[in-house]
Amino acid sequence: MNTLAASGNPVDHLRLHTILRIDAAGLRLDITEAVLFMWAGCAVLVGVFLVASRHSGPATRGLRTVLEAMLLFIREDIVKRNMGSRGVRYFPLIATLFFFILVSNWVGLVPLPFSYSATSNISVTAALAMFVFVLVQVEGLRLRGVRGYLRGFVPEGVPTMLLPLMVPIEIISALARPFSLAIRLFANMLAGHLLILVFLGMSATGLWFLKAVPLVGAVLMSLFEIFVGLVQAYIFSMLTAIYLSEVVGEA
Amino acid sequence: MDSVALAWLGSGLAIGLAAMGTGLGMGFMVGKGLEGVSRQPEAAGAIQRLMVMGIAFVEALALYALVIALFLAFKA
Repeated sequence: MNTLAASGNPVDHLRLHTILRIDAAGLRLDITEAVLFMWAGCAVLVGVFLVASRHSGPATRGLRTVLEAMLLFIREDIVKRNMGSRGVRYFPLIATLFFFILVSNWVGLVPLPFSYSATSNISVTAALAMFVFVLVQVEGLRLRGVRGYLRGFVPEGVPTMLLPLMVPIEIISALARPFSLAIRLFANMLAGHLLILVFLGMSATGLWFLKAVPLVGAVLMSLFEIFVGLVQAYIFSMLTAIYLSEVVGEA
Repeated sequence: MDSVALAWLGSGLAIGLAAMGTGLGMGFMVGKGLEGVSRQPEAAGAIQRLMVMGIAFVEALALYALVIALFLAFKA
Protein backbone atom coordinates (compact mmCIF):
# COMPACT_ATOMS: atom_id res chain seq x y z
CA MET A 1 0.00 0.00 0.00
CA ASN A 2 3.09 2.24 -0.09
CA THR A 3 2.48 2.76 -3.78
CA LEU A 4 -0.68 4.68 -2.93
CA ALA A 5 1.03 7.66 -1.35
CA ALA A 6 3.24 7.96 -4.43
CA SER A 7 0.50 7.96 -7.07
CA GLY A 8 -2.45 9.44 -5.21
CA ASN A 9 -4.99 7.67 -7.39
CA PRO A 10 -6.34 4.63 -5.57
CA VAL A 11 -7.29 2.88 -8.81
CA ASP A 12 -3.64 2.68 -9.84
CA HIS A 13 -3.15 0.19 -7.06
CA LEU A 14 -5.69 -2.14 -8.63
CA ARG A 15 -4.18 -2.10 -12.09
CA LEU A 16 -2.56 -5.39 -12.99
CA HIS A 17 1.12 -5.53 -13.81
CA THR A 18 2.58 -8.18 -16.05
CA ILE A 19 5.22 -10.08 -14.15
CA LEU A 20 6.00 -12.67 -16.80
CA ARG A 21 4.82 -12.23 -20.36
CA ILE A 22 3.50 -15.41 -21.99
CA ASP A 23 2.31 -15.07 -25.56
CA ALA A 24 0.67 -18.32 -26.65
CA ALA A 25 0.03 -17.81 -30.38
CA GLY A 26 -1.61 -14.42 -29.97
CA LEU A 27 -3.36 -15.40 -26.74
CA ARG A 28 -1.92 -13.46 -23.83
CA LEU A 29 -1.48 -15.72 -20.80
CA ASP A 30 0.58 -13.31 -18.74
CA ILE A 31 1.46 -14.01 -15.16
CA THR A 32 0.05 -11.04 -13.27
CA GLU A 33 -0.55 -10.30 -9.59
CA ALA A 34 -3.96 -11.93 -9.87
CA VAL A 35 -2.42 -15.22 -11.02
CA LEU A 36 0.35 -15.04 -8.43
CA PHE A 37 -2.05 -14.43 -5.58
CA MET A 38 -4.38 -17.20 -6.76
CA TRP A 39 -1.39 -19.54 -6.58
CA ALA A 40 -0.49 -18.13 -3.19
CA GLY A 41 -4.06 -18.70 -2.01
CA CYS A 42 -4.05 -22.28 -3.28
CA ALA A 43 -0.69 -22.90 -1.58
CA VAL A 44 -1.98 -21.50 1.71
CA LEU A 45 -5.12 -23.64 1.47
CA VAL A 46 -3.21 -26.84 0.71
CA GLY A 47 -0.76 -26.08 3.51
CA VAL A 48 -3.47 -25.33 6.06
CA PHE A 49 -5.43 -28.45 5.22
CA LEU A 50 -2.31 -30.63 5.22
CA VAL A 51 -1.31 -29.35 8.65
CA ALA A 52 -4.86 -29.75 9.95
CA SER A 53 -5.25 -33.31 8.68
CA ARG A 54 -1.89 -34.52 10.02
CA HIS A 55 -3.36 -36.06 13.15
CA SER A 56 -6.21 -38.36 12.29
CA GLY A 57 -8.55 -39.75 14.88
CA PRO A 58 -11.75 -38.76 16.58
CA ALA A 59 -10.32 -36.22 19.03
CA THR A 60 -10.04 -32.86 17.30
CA ARG A 61 -8.64 -29.59 18.49
CA GLY A 62 -7.26 -26.33 17.23
CA LEU A 63 -7.15 -25.66 13.51
CA ARG A 64 -8.77 -28.95 12.64
CA THR A 65 -11.85 -28.19 14.73
CA VAL A 66 -12.35 -24.90 12.90
CA LEU A 67 -11.99 -26.46 9.45
CA GLU A 68 -14.24 -29.39 10.34
CA ALA A 69 -16.90 -27.02 11.62
CA MET A 70 -16.72 -25.02 8.39
CA LEU A 71 -16.87 -28.13 6.20
CA LEU A 72 -19.81 -29.45 8.20
CA PHE A 73 -21.57 -26.13 7.80
CA ILE A 74 -21.02 -26.26 4.04
CA ARG A 75 -22.26 -29.84 3.81
CA GLU A 76 -25.33 -29.44 5.99
CA ASP A 77 -26.42 -25.84 5.54
CA ILE A 78 -25.34 -25.08 1.99
CA VAL A 79 -25.36 -28.40 0.14
CA LYS A 80 -27.95 -30.60 1.86
CA ARG A 81 -30.39 -27.82 2.69
CA ASN A 82 -30.61 -26.83 -0.98
CA MET A 83 -30.01 -30.03 -2.87
CA GLY A 84 -30.91 -32.78 -0.43
CA SER A 85 -28.83 -35.91 -0.01
CA ARG A 86 -28.43 -36.28 -3.78
CA GLY A 87 -26.41 -33.07 -3.77
CA VAL A 88 -23.62 -34.52 -1.63
CA ARG A 89 -21.88 -35.39 -4.92
CA TYR A 90 -21.28 -31.66 -5.38
CA PHE A 91 -20.06 -31.08 -1.82
CA PRO A 92 -16.32 -31.26 -2.69
CA LEU A 93 -16.82 -28.81 -5.54
CA ILE A 94 -18.78 -26.32 -3.47
CA ALA A 95 -16.41 -26.58 -0.51
CA THR A 96 -13.46 -25.97 -2.85
CA LEU A 97 -15.18 -22.93 -4.36
CA PHE A 98 -15.97 -21.62 -0.88
CA PHE A 99 -12.46 -21.98 0.47
CA PHE A 100 -10.80 -20.71 -2.70
CA ILE A 101 -12.95 -17.58 -2.74
CA LEU A 102 -12.54 -17.08 1.00
CA VAL A 103 -8.75 -17.25 0.82
CA SER A 104 -8.63 -15.09 -2.32
CA ASN A 105 -10.75 -12.48 -0.56
CA TRP A 106 -8.61 -12.48 2.54
CA VAL A 107 -5.22 -12.55 0.84
CA GLY A 108 -5.62 -8.92 -0.22
CA LEU A 109 -5.98 -7.87 3.40
CA VAL A 110 -2.51 -9.08 4.36
CA PRO A 111 -0.70 -5.80 5.08
CA LEU A 112 2.08 -6.03 2.51
CA PRO A 113 2.82 -3.32 -0.07
CA PHE A 114 1.99 -5.66 -2.95
CA SER A 115 -0.91 -7.69 -1.55
CA TYR A 116 -3.75 -8.15 -3.98
CA SER A 117 -7.09 -9.92 -3.87
CA ALA A 118 -7.51 -12.07 -6.94
CA THR A 119 -11.29 -11.76 -6.52
CA SER A 120 -11.12 -7.98 -6.89
CA ASN A 121 -10.32 -8.62 -10.55
CA ILE A 122 -13.29 -9.09 -12.89
CA SER A 123 -11.50 -11.73 -14.99
CA VAL A 124 -11.09 -14.04 -12.01
CA THR A 125 -14.68 -13.74 -10.82
CA ALA A 126 -15.98 -13.97 -14.39
CA ALA A 127 -14.04 -17.21 -14.86
CA LEU A 128 -15.51 -18.63 -11.65
CA ALA A 129 -19.04 -17.57 -12.64
CA MET A 130 -18.69 -18.97 -16.17
CA PHE A 131 -17.49 -22.24 -14.70
CA VAL A 132 -20.61 -22.43 -12.51
CA PHE A 133 -22.85 -21.50 -15.46
CA VAL A 134 -21.39 -24.16 -17.76
CA LEU A 135 -21.50 -26.74 -14.97
CA VAL A 136 -25.21 -26.09 -14.35
CA GLN A 137 -26.05 -26.38 -18.06
CA VAL A 138 -23.99 -29.56 -18.51
CA GLU A 139 -25.47 -31.19 -15.42
CA GLY A 140 -28.95 -30.14 -16.56
CA LEU A 141 -28.45 -31.82 -19.92
CA ARG A 142 -26.84 -34.89 -18.38
CA LEU A 143 -29.39 -35.49 -15.61
CA ARG A 144 -32.60 -34.44 -17.34
CA GLY A 145 -31.91 -35.08 -21.01
CA VAL A 146 -32.52 -32.57 -23.77
CA ARG A 147 -36.32 -32.54 -23.30
CA GLY A 148 -36.15 -32.06 -19.55
CA TYR A 149 -33.46 -29.43 -19.90
CA LEU A 150 -35.60 -27.43 -22.33
CA ARG A 151 -38.66 -27.88 -20.10
CA GLY A 152 -36.74 -26.04 -17.39
CA PHE A 153 -37.24 -22.85 -19.38
CA VAL A 154 -41.04 -23.29 -19.41
CA PRO A 155 -42.51 -22.17 -16.07
CA GLU A 156 -45.29 -24.30 -14.68
CA GLY A 157 -48.83 -23.07 -14.14
CA VAL A 158 -48.55 -20.24 -16.64
CA PRO A 159 -51.35 -19.72 -19.20
CA THR A 160 -50.31 -20.74 -22.73
CA MET A 161 -50.99 -17.20 -23.93
CA LEU A 162 -48.21 -15.87 -21.73
CA LEU A 163 -45.58 -18.44 -22.71
CA PRO A 164 -44.09 -16.43 -25.63
CA LEU A 165 -43.41 -13.74 -23.05
CA MET A 166 -42.29 -15.97 -20.16
CA VAL A 167 -39.87 -18.27 -22.00
CA PRO A 168 -37.57 -15.46 -23.23
CA ILE A 169 -37.64 -13.97 -19.73
CA GLU A 170 -36.57 -17.32 -18.27
CA ILE A 171 -33.78 -17.64 -20.82
CA ILE A 172 -32.59 -14.09 -20.14
CA SER A 173 -32.65 -14.69 -16.39
CA ALA A 174 -30.57 -17.84 -16.85
CA LEU A 175 -28.08 -15.95 -19.01
CA ALA A 176 -27.90 -13.04 -16.55
CA ARG A 177 -26.88 -15.28 -13.65
CA PRO A 178 -23.16 -15.53 -14.43
CA PHE A 179 -23.00 -11.76 -14.80
CA SER A 180 -24.62 -11.11 -11.44
CA LEU A 181 -22.48 -13.80 -9.79
CA ALA A 182 -19.28 -12.32 -11.21
CA ILE A 183 -20.09 -8.68 -10.63
CA ARG A 184 -21.37 -9.21 -7.08
CA LEU A 185 -18.14 -10.79 -5.92
CA PHE A 186 -15.88 -8.49 -7.94
CA ALA A 187 -17.64 -5.26 -6.92
CA ASN A 188 -17.80 -6.21 -3.24
CA MET A 189 -14.09 -6.89 -3.10
CA LEU A 190 -13.17 -3.88 -5.23
CA ALA A 191 -15.35 -1.51 -3.21
CA GLY A 192 -13.96 -2.65 0.13
CA HIS A 193 -10.35 -2.46 -0.97
CA LEU A 194 -10.84 0.91 -2.66
CA LEU A 195 -12.44 2.29 0.48
CA ILE A 196 -9.49 1.15 2.60
CA LEU A 197 -7.11 2.68 0.05
CA VAL A 198 -9.02 5.95 -0.03
CA PHE A 199 -8.87 6.14 3.77
CA LEU A 200 -5.14 5.43 3.71
CA GLY A 201 -4.68 8.03 0.99
CA MET A 202 -6.47 10.60 3.12
CA SER A 203 -4.26 9.63 6.02
CA ALA A 204 -1.13 9.99 3.90
CA THR A 205 -1.99 13.36 2.39
CA GLY A 206 -4.10 14.94 5.15
CA LEU A 207 -3.15 17.61 7.68
CA TRP A 208 -0.97 16.26 10.45
CA PHE A 209 -3.57 16.54 13.22
CA LEU A 210 -6.20 14.82 11.07
CA LYS A 211 -4.07 11.85 9.98
CA ALA A 212 -5.35 9.56 12.74
CA VAL A 213 -9.03 9.86 11.84
CA PRO A 214 -8.97 8.15 8.41
CA LEU A 215 -6.46 5.65 9.78
CA VAL A 216 -9.07 4.48 12.30
CA GLY A 217 -11.51 4.30 9.39
CA ALA A 218 -9.08 2.12 7.44
CA VAL A 219 -8.62 -0.23 10.39
CA LEU A 220 -12.37 -0.56 10.91
CA MET A 221 -12.94 -1.11 7.18
CA SER A 222 -10.27 -3.84 7.19
CA LEU A 223 -12.14 -5.58 10.00
CA PHE A 224 -15.39 -5.21 8.08
CA GLU A 225 -13.70 -6.61 4.96
CA ILE A 226 -12.86 -9.82 6.83
CA PHE A 227 -16.58 -10.23 7.44
CA VAL A 228 -17.48 -9.25 3.86
CA GLY A 229 -14.99 -11.76 2.45
CA LEU A 230 -16.61 -14.53 4.48
CA VAL A 231 -20.16 -13.49 3.55
CA GLN A 232 -19.31 -13.24 -0.16
CA ALA A 233 -17.70 -16.69 -0.18
CA TYR A 234 -20.86 -18.00 1.52
CA ILE A 235 -23.14 -16.22 -0.98
CA PHE A 236 -21.20 -17.52 -3.99
CA SER A 237 -21.25 -21.13 -2.82
CA MET A 238 -24.88 -20.81 -1.70
CA LEU A 239 -25.94 -19.51 -5.12
CA THR A 240 -23.97 -22.27 -6.84
CA ALA A 241 -25.86 -24.77 -4.70
CA ILE A 242 -29.20 -23.12 -5.49
CA TYR A 243 -28.52 -23.07 -9.24
CA LEU A 244 -27.41 -26.71 -9.13
CA SER A 245 -30.47 -27.65 -7.07
CA GLU A 246 -32.68 -26.59 -9.97
CA VAL A 247 -31.20 -29.31 -12.16
CA VAL A 248 -30.49 -31.91 -9.48
CA GLY A 249 -33.91 -31.57 -7.86
CA GLU A 250 -34.73 -30.47 -4.34
CA ALA A 251 -34.79 -32.71 -1.31
CA MET B 1 -20.05 22.33 -18.71
CA ASP B 2 -17.54 20.14 -20.47
CA SER B 3 -17.77 16.38 -20.74
CA VAL B 4 -15.33 15.79 -17.88
CA ALA B 5 -17.45 17.80 -15.48
CA LEU B 6 -20.55 15.94 -16.68
CA ALA B 7 -18.84 12.59 -16.16
CA TRP B 8 -17.91 13.54 -12.59
CA LEU B 9 -21.42 14.80 -11.96
CA GLY B 10 -22.83 11.57 -13.36
CA SER B 11 -20.49 9.48 -11.23
CA GLY B 12 -21.58 11.28 -8.06
CA LEU B 13 -25.25 11.02 -8.98
CA ALA B 14 -24.90 7.32 -9.84
CA ILE B 15 -23.51 6.26 -6.48
CA GLY B 16 -25.66 8.71 -4.53
CA LEU B 17 -28.95 7.60 -6.04
CA ALA B 18 -27.94 3.95 -5.80
CA ALA B 19 -27.06 4.37 -2.14
CA MET B 20 -30.44 6.01 -1.56
CA GLY B 21 -32.39 3.16 -3.16
CA THR B 22 -30.40 0.35 -1.60
CA GLY B 23 -30.50 2.13 1.75
CA LEU B 24 -34.28 2.19 1.60
CA GLY B 25 -34.41 -1.45 0.56
CA MET B 26 -31.99 -2.64 3.24
CA GLY B 27 -33.79 -0.54 5.83
CA PHE B 28 -37.07 -2.24 5.05
CA MET B 29 -35.44 -5.63 5.12
CA VAL B 30 -33.57 -5.22 8.40
CA GLY B 31 -36.61 -3.56 9.98
CA LYS B 32 -38.84 -6.46 9.04
CA GLY B 33 -36.17 -8.90 10.17
CA LEU B 34 -35.96 -7.25 13.59
CA GLU B 35 -39.74 -7.30 13.81
CA GLY B 36 -39.71 -11.00 13.07
CA VAL B 37 -37.00 -11.69 15.63
CA SER B 38 -38.77 -9.72 18.36
CA ARG B 39 -41.98 -11.60 17.67
CA GLN B 40 -40.36 -15.02 17.45
CA PRO B 41 -36.96 -14.95 19.16
CA GLU B 42 -36.64 -18.71 18.64
CA ALA B 43 -36.52 -18.18 14.85
CA ALA B 44 -33.67 -15.67 15.17
CA GLY B 45 -31.09 -17.98 13.56
CA ALA B 46 -33.10 -18.70 10.43
CA ILE B 47 -34.23 -15.09 10.04
CA GLN B 48 -30.69 -13.83 10.45
CA ARG B 49 -29.32 -16.19 7.83
CA LEU B 50 -31.98 -15.24 5.31
CA MET B 51 -31.54 -11.56 6.11
CA VAL B 52 -27.79 -11.66 5.50
CA MET B 53 -28.43 -13.43 2.18
CA GLY B 54 -30.98 -10.81 1.18
CA ILE B 55 -28.76 -7.96 2.26
CA ALA B 56 -25.98 -9.28 0.06
CA PHE B 57 -28.33 -9.26 -2.93
CA VAL B 58 -29.49 -5.71 -2.28
CA GLU B 59 -25.98 -4.54 -1.54
CA ALA B 60 -24.89 -5.85 -4.92
CA LEU B 61 -27.13 -3.26 -6.60
CA ALA B 62 -25.28 -0.42 -4.91
CA LEU B 63 -22.02 -2.04 -5.93
CA TYR B 64 -23.06 -2.24 -9.59
CA ALA B 65 -23.63 1.51 -9.38
CA LEU B 66 -20.26 1.91 -7.71
CA VAL B 67 -18.57 0.17 -10.64
CA ILE B 68 -20.35 2.52 -13.06
CA ALA B 69 -19.43 5.50 -10.91
CA LEU B 70 -15.79 4.46 -10.86
CA PHE B 71 -15.77 3.99 -14.63
CA LEU B 72 -17.21 7.47 -15.08
CA ALA B 73 -14.90 9.08 -12.54
CA PHE B 74 -11.68 7.60 -13.86
CA LYS B 75 -12.47 7.59 -17.59
CA ALA B 76 -13.07 11.31 -17.43
